[in-house]
Amino acid sequence: MNEVETKQELQLIREMIERTRQATTRAWNYLFFWGILIILAIAGMYILVFVKKYHWIWVNWLAFVVIGIAYSIFYVQKQEQGQGVRTYAQINVAHLSIACSVGFITMGLVFPLLGLYPYGVIPVLMSIMAGILFFVLGGIYEWNLLKLCAAIWWLGAFGMILLPPEYRSLVFIPLIIVGYFVPGFILRSKYQKS
Amino acid sequence: MHSEKFSQLDPVIHSQIRLAALSILMSVKSADFNYLKKTVGTTDGNLSIHLSKLEESGYISVKKSFKGKKPLTTCSLTEKGKDAFMKYLRGLEDYLHFEKK
Repeated sequence: MNEVETKQELQLIREMIERTRQATTRAWNYLFFWGILIILAIAGMYILVFVKKYHWIWVNWLAFVVIGIAYSIFYVQKQEQGQGVRTYAQINVAHLSIACSVGFITMGLVFPLLGLYPYGVIPVLMSIMAGILFFVLGGIYEWNLLKLCAAIWWLGAFGMILLPPEYRSLVFIPLIIVGYFVPGFILRSKYQKS
Repeated sequence: MHSEKFSQLDPVIHSQIRLAALSILMSVKSADFNYLKKTVGTTDGNLSIHLSKLEESGYISVKKSFKGKKPLTTCSLTEKGKDAFMKYLRGLEDYLHFEKK
């Protein structure tokens, strides 16, 4: 054993860990799917408001949530089968996704339907929740950009308070673009280069 | 002195393929045979021999199942394997520090 061999062994360890990390952090399609789904749900909501079918709004959201959860389950299963590897990050993200889904559904659908608070509060709570989701994801994947996204979502929540309740959901669109798609594209191009 | 340092390195891990496989398993919960083969860059037979050696030493656990009709071999690191890997890593670092002095 000499110094060169020792360095080669350490390099091999680093290379194997990095290859595994890169193979398991490319979840772009999944993230973009959720972003587009939320934008469509908001569009659907405003269309229903425009045609004055207010009582269908919660059905609209419920339908998109069900589609999102069904796709998530399908995606996770497909990803695990395709990759042939199960990482600690994947396990943590799965737990976080379940916890946040419970939060989104209870705070965004169940509690307002039970009349616990007015509908105008929902976008603010959703933004806070999205911020928590991104912050923890940033910690798991060690992406500071995702933590910055979290800050954008939290700022967005404060910004919503300044608007009349019926326009608060519209803030989601710039939030999704600035705090979701843009960092997603930056990170994707970064990984494609590396 | 070199031979003293060298003897501290675990001979079970001191092989390119076994070290590569353990490095991957160190960073994941589990990995299947094909993933390990692809990432390590070796053949079925070669990897099989090395994984058997790691399993015999109690460093990894190997679970055999089926994915559809195809056999699936899933490997994961045991606590003993984690300890041995960390000790091996420290051994390498100690060796480098010794060389610098």
